[in-house]
Amino acid sequence: MNLSDDFAFTQGSLGDYADCARRFELRFIKRVRYPALEVQDALGFETRTRQGARFHKMVQQHLLGVPAEALAASLADDEELARWWANYLARGLTDLPTQRLSEITLQTHLAGRRLVAKYDLLALAPGGRAVIVDWKTGARVPSQSSLRGRMQTIVYRYVLAQAGAHLYAGERIPPERIRMDYVYVAAGGERVSFAYSAAQMREDEALLAEMIAAIDRAETFPLTDDARRCRFCSYRSLCDRGGAGRLEDFDFDEYEYEDEEIFALDFDQIAEIEF
Amino acid sequence: MIELSKGQTEILELPLDRRIWLEGMAGGGKTTVAVRRVLHLLASGVPAESILIFVPQRSLAQPYIRALRGLTSHRGGQVSIHTIGSLSLQMVETFWFLIAGQAGFKHPQDLPNFLSLELVQYFMTRAIEPLVDKRDYFSSVRIDRPRLYSQIVDNMNKAALVGFPISEIGSRLKSALASGVEQAHIFDDAQTCAMAFRQYCLKHNLLDFSLQLEVFRAHVWAAPAARRYLRGRYRHLIVDGLEEDNPASQEFLKDLLESCQSALILYDRDAGFRRFLGADPDSARRLRERCEVKATLEDSFVMGPEVSALGAALAGQLGVTVSVESEADPRRALITVAHRYHPEMVDWVAEQAAFLARERGVPPNEIVILAPFLSDALRFGLVDGLERRGIPWRTHRPSRALRDEPAARTLLTLARLAHPQWGLPPTDFDVVLALMAAIDGLDLVRAKLLTEMLYREDRLLQFAEVHSTAMQERITFDLGERYDRLANWLNRYIDGGRADAIDIFFRRIFGGLLSRAGFGFHDDIDAGNISMNLVDSAREFRWALDFMSRYDAQIDLGLDYVKMVDRGVIANSYLRDWIADVEESVLIAPAYTFLLNNRPVDYQFWLNIGSEGWSRRLYQPLTHPHVLSRGWPPGAVWSEDDEQAMNRLTLGRLLLALTRRCRKAVYLGYSELSESGYEPRGLLLETIQGLLRRLAREEQHV
Repeated sequence: MNLSDDFAFTQGSLGDYADCARRFELRFIKRVRYPALEVQDALGFETRTRQGARFHKMVQQHLLGVPAEALAASLADDEELARWWANYLARGLTDLPTQRLSEITLQTHLAGRRLVAKYDLLALAPGGRAVIVDWKTGARVPSQSSLRGRMQTIVYRYVLAQAGAHLYAGERIPPERIRMDYVYVAAGGERVSFAYSAAQMREDEALLAEMIAAIDRAETFPLTDDARRCRFCSYRSLCDRGGAGRLEDFDFDEYEYEDEEIFALDFDQIAEIEF
Repeated sequence: MIELSKGQTEILELPLDRRIWLEGMAGGGKTTVAVRRVLHLLASGVPAESILIFVPQRSLAQPYIRALRGLTSHRGGQVSIHTIGSLSLQMVETFWFLIAGQAGFKHPQDLPNFLSLELVQYFMTRAIEPLVDKRDYFSSVRIDRPRLYSQIVDNMNKAALVGFPISEIGSRLKSALASGVEQAHIFDDAQTCAMAFRQYCLKHNLLDFSLQLEVFRAHVWAAPAARRYLRGRYRHLIVDGLEEDNPASQEFLKDLLESCQSALILYDRDAGFRRFLGADPDSARRLRERCEVKATLEDSFVMGPEVSALGAALAGQLGVTVSVESEADPRRALITVAHRYHPEMVDWVAEQAAFLARERGVPPNEIVILAPFLSDALRFGLVDGLERRGIPWRTHRPSRALRDEPAARTLLTLARLAHPQWGLPPTDFDVVLALMAAIDGLDLVRAKLLTEMLYREDRLLQFAEVHSTAMQERITFDLGERYDRLANWLNRYIDGGRADAIDIFFRRIFGGLLSRAGFGFHDDIDAGNISMNLVDSAREFRWALDFMSRYDAQIDLGLDYVKMVDRGVIANSYLRDWIADVEESVLIAPAYTFLLNNRPVDYQFWLNIGSEGWSRRLYQPLTHPHVLSRGWPPGAVWSEDDEQAMNRLTLGRLLLALTRRCRKAVYLGYSELSESGYEPRGLLLETIQGLLRRLAREEQHV
């Protein structure tokens, strides 16, 4: 057993394992924080990731009742983000069921482990469709086949089918009612959709269960043989795998936007109180 | 899973549409019931997203987090866990564009900037230092500036937590405490500074904790969209430790309770030991009337009868009455040996802890060693004593600040070398330490030689500049080659006219050089973690200042950052989050830190029982926890009698809280001469002596 009993798998951690077992070990078992740069143009990268995070936050604010105009007024100094926002307003919510839940996390269990998915948006009509929406801010729209094989596509649909009943009038959501949409707001709001089926769910379950079991069984976590996977990995100096990659080559499409870490400042942290 | 008592089971099984008030003494099993109630709600089909667990401090949420993470069979959403700090931050951020204008921010169309503690100190310095210098404020107060500013922050936080305008801080303090003109001036100065800082924050979209809370209370919670969201989402409320929470939290919870389908509110009797942090157990009781079911759990599952008697007897000596008493002899729960000198006492404590662990088979995590303050010297003595005896330990007060860690110091020194335009060259001593840490295998002597020969005019010269071959051989060419790589890296950076943001500089030199094979941070996980902490601190600083530069003149961020580190304002926080606790280990901690973890143990050691720190407040001339509390009557004067009475009450509550988290016995660490060589005469010592004399007298009369 390599992981703590309460470890929760996500598409990100499974994706890391698929890319490089060593990275998975450093990040999730040894919990090493390593501050090397992901790309050479660090400020450019930061600007881009912060734009992405802010876009996700804005959508959440909008769906919770903050008027679109108020949010748009805050974008005077960021043309690119304003363009994404306009695309979102024009096409982002088209043809979606009206019960909409943003930034919601669901969990199920598989192979004795928790499996967690954090959704940008779930749009549901109990008894009807259940649509997963994931906002993408990358400029290039990947091919359907590459998106289909992504861990995110596999995990998100599976977890919703397994754990979404309470959002669907208490009924387990039939896989056939589930659809996953990637919406490319930097590419005019283009949408790439994936349907789901019971057969696909069984296939996904077998794949995920095998991956989880393999990680639990693993005695070693070897470094990937494919050095290209190390270009944007912050552990590469630890593994002697070259320098930082170029910003132009970075695939923001696979970047996971987490909320910037919110420090929950509590009064008891005030330094003057020394006990 | 623990088997519940009949009383606990009855509460657990109450219908899911009841609001329940559950009170009793600490150790009565309230949290156990609440954890099970959460699981019961989930098992009954209640959506996890609709459950809010609310605690006064994150550490109190641990039992819930453990239970929820252990639920490998749960399918569904996630339960929310919040303090008033985390909830208000999230809500202000989400609904910012609805309320920023009415809350008085000058740039409501721009994003808010939430300040960490160190950034509050930084901006406080920027906002009020010119005023303090110009008008000679606080000239009669003999404490350093960071502590002085932190008390102004403390006043503002108290105002927000208790619910009075910050404009009343000065008048409240003056009417209760100002015995002369000089003292009145100090409170006036504190008031002026608080107002100046608030104006500065409003002008620059900055939110310290007090403003964040005020904006949440006055504007977000009043906004229909925000209320709709919170009331619609959280239908089931679990509150743990309400008596330790502040009036702001209690008011919010009272309001939220109205729309909740179910609630379970836990209230510890005879507690409220976080009063100095704004806890208000009296105001907390107002929520009781809002609950349909009032339940109690009276019996302790923790204390043995002797420990129970000890807690009651000590509290009684201090005039604190308790709801439950025991007939047992409290002396049977006390173990003490008097020592002449402090180090002897420390060694005795380590010996006794080791005896319990080794000879009696007590798990080390069932032993805690507590003191009112944990000085570096005391901590070192205890750690050394335990380590010599092979007993694992952990502490919640690591001895070093981030800026003092070798990896962080190295990065800061290299930053100074790389930025000669700052005019802050490092000292020779710092360069020696940086070279040692940066180059794998370089010892002190060689690092000193390299510095003496090659650190010239604020730059590192090439190894070839060491003219004597004998000296080069002494240093070794291998080390010389790696030294050159470092010097070249820095000189290329300088000559390239490059000026990275400070955090990016740290990351670039970390990834490009220091973590490479042959250098000091390679394969060093601790150095990586510490460097990451420094990067986080510097990045947060840059983001806040970048944001400010939209409104103010440009600032040299790197230079300002390093200056603030030097002054102890930035990177001065203790490293807490990433230091892994060894589970099976003796905890060494300040007494209040232990209490706030709310985990009972078999044995407690109370050290330095002669110290006045057990009962007396810190010297804080600019603030006052009681005068700025909700219960303080307007216009009343704080007297020496009040101070004495408060010290007794504080100590009485503390001792009750400690004994209620102790199963078997308390060891007292006493030495005739204190750590600093004086004969101690603190209230705890006096109380214990008084109790033992009284019990001896009573025994004679029997």
